[in-house]
Amino acid sequence: MNRKLLYCLSLLLVALCLPPQWYPPALRLQLSEWFGAAPWRPLPATITAGTGRPQMFCPQATAGWKNRQVVENVEIAAVDTCQADNPWLIAAAVRGVNNVSEATLRKSGLTADAVVKGADLDGDGDPDEIHIRLEVAELNGSSAEQQEAVTRYALAPGIHPGLWVFAPKLAGMTTENFVSDRARPDLRLPSPALRVEQGDRVSITLENTHYMPHTLHLHGADHGFVLADGQGNDGVPFSSEQPVLPGASRTYFLQPRQTGTMFYHCHVQPHVHVMMGLQGLFVIEPNRPHNWLQTINPGAGKVRVSSAAVREEYGQEYDLHYLDLDRELSEGVQKYTDPRLVTRYMHREYDITDASSDYFTLNGLSFPYTFRESLVVADRGERIKLRVLNGGAKGLALHTHGHKFIATHRDGAALPPASRSPRDVIWLATSQRAELDLLTTNDGLHAYGPGIWPFHDHQNRGITTDGIGPGGNISAIVYRQYLGEDGWPKTRGISWDNYFTAEYYRKQIPVWQSYAADLLGEPGADPRMVTRLLGLALGIGLLLGLLATRKRP
Amino acid sequence: MIRVPLLLFAGMTALAQPQAQPMSEHRHEPGDAGGMVMNANTDTLPRGCSAISRDYEFTVAVGRPYAEGIPGMIFGMSDHELRVQPCSRISVTLVNEDAVRHQWMVHGLPVYLYPQGMFHIEANAGHSRRGTFIAPADDRTYLVHCGMPQHMENGMKGQLVVGEGSGDLWSVKEVGGSFTRSAYLPAGYPWLLLPALLLGAGLALMTRRFD
Repeated sequence: MNRKLLYCLSLLLVALCLPPQWYPPALRLQLSEWFGAAPWRPLPATITAGTGRPQMFCPQATAGWKNRQVVENVEIAAVDTCQADNPWLIAAAVRGVNNVSEATLRKSGLTADAVVKGADLDGDGDPDEIHIRLEVAELNGSSAEQQEAVTRYALAPGIHPGLWVFAPKLAGMTTENFVSDRARPDLRLPSPALRVEQGDRVSITLENTHYMPHTLHLHGADHGFVLADGQGNDGVPFSSEQPVLPGASRTYFLQPRQTGTMFYHCHVQPHVHVMMGLQGLFVIEPNRPHNWLQTINPGAGKVRVSSAAVREEYGQEYDLHYLDLDRELSEGVQKYTDPRLVTRYMHREYDITDASSDYFTLNGLSFPYTFRESLVVADRGERIKLRVLNGGAKGLALHTHGHKFIATHRDGAALPPASRSPRDVIWLATSQRAELDLLTTNDGLHAYGPGIWPFHDHQNRGITTDGIGPGGNISAIVYRQYLGEDGWPKTRGISWDNYFTAEYYRKQIPVWQSYAADLLGEPGADPRMVTRLLGLALGIGLLLGLLATRKRP
Repeated sequence: MIRVPLLLFAGMTALAQPQAQPMSEHRHEPGDAGGMVMNANTDTLPRGCSAISRDYEFTVAVGRPYAEGIPGMIFGMSDHELRVQPCSRISVTLVNEDAVRHQWMVHGLPVYLYPQGMFHIEANAGHSRRGTFIAPADDRTYLVHCGMPQHMENGMKGQLVVGEGSGDLWSVKEVGGSFTRSAYLPAGYPWLLLPALLLGAGLALMTRRFD
């Protein structure tokens, strides 16, 4: 008797508590026709969904690094943004570590063989024997006994994908200090932009400090297929040579006859290795007298010591290296600690034909970090050279506000003058390079006047970080009058506080919460519905319990 | 590429330079293409030591050859564990047998004596470097590793046991077990579970029959 009552009660509970939104629509409409509208009740109130403590927008470079200065007789141009490269590293990269004092070498952070410059073969007052050494470093890798990524490098707040980079040889510790897991500032994405002179005898030693085989391929730069001693020189494991195994090294050689903006990358399983970050700009400058080049531009960006040929025509020069990354690929180095399992995941389980890119970087960073160091800072009436590389898996539709670029070179070769028309979208297929003239002459064509003018990939995924915008490779051309004392642009729109939180890019903060929360903020939950749901669950539980304990006849 | 003139005055300039930059708060010995030593200490006694208790001379060879044949290990050391007495003076010669750089770093040393608590030897490809430091007075186990990215994770992890030490570290070859994230189950392992599950269920049913 009691059980029958309980059956009835539980069925009644289920019927009453089932949210009307879950009824079949036809039934719900029929019911409303029969019984009319329910009484007015406002929808759940807007709540504050996620919050995060914003990071500092504009951390300053070490004191004095940004200034224009002369180190080892090298004139190093000023940087106007928040962050700047170490001027001693730049001086050592220009003179060669063998031609600077012990003090400069130590302050540069380079090893005593990182960039060695030898004889002046053509007697024009600059060295023509250049020996560059590169190592391979894993950023945001895993360590078995800890949760967080090691040799940590953030693309944007809270974004730490696994990366592989060619790194200049940096002496000593790889982290900021001994209590930190964060990579030191010059150990970063992208691999450094390299600069040599036309006709230089260039040796590049790949010292494979990584746990996988790698090679070096000089894409677009004039190099022989084999060297005189029979060693392969094209970096391709299936056609020219054995890969360089962990702990081993190989010296590649070239004496480029042509100038231009080229590309270097690993050629072992390139669909994985190139996309992990083993790629960089390789610039061959015209031969000029007294042409001491900045052989290494760490993290690309503004070139603080430009070549003689660039200085003849331009006031400033920027290296802009674009790269998109797939989180599913970069996770491989974080999921496993056994290098054999990492290898299996990255080269067999991961399938690039099913891939999609999640992170879009300019010079190794995504918005808003791009604004710390990858702004193009201009005055009116300047002529600025931009060297652009699209190292990513997708094409790049490079668009700028407020200006039109003129492409002068593509893939290192000069374009005929007649074809150099101003454009506001420059298309770069995967691995293509373009050299662009940016004229800040306010004539309504080349430039529309001073401002903070964003430039970015106009394929719209490129302006997001894992689908959250603004993110990705957004940077800006900022006129000096719009730049604050500290190097941060005087932006006029909404607050950037949310963009400087990891929570925003983890999709936890409604995009307009900071300024239109009343309008389109996050709706709260309906407590009455929660109560009904609990009743429903109780009813179902009762029913199931009764069914399970019924007596068999 | 001639380094001789530089080496001649290197020692003097290293002493004369003000130590202003972040990297130079450590005591560098003049570095060269062969490597360097940071925070060497041959004579300052740690607190609690009244004299050098003993002198040790170790040679640690490192590189690929010391990881050969060991599954999942890429780089190795000839000795992953060094045992010393408290207050002893330890000289380590790091012999790098690879064609890439390696390091030998000790962590957690007293910061009043070793900036950031570390002692560091770095040897370039095919070179060796010797450095000396003095062990503290208390029994403790210190982490020793190569600081190049992923070298510790791929085998170059060791421990320095002072006195009785304070317990072994994980993932030190022939000392502590691997703290791996992977269970190393064979392919198709769920099928292995099926017979065991059936057996368990069968046993449970049999007990019911005896009720």
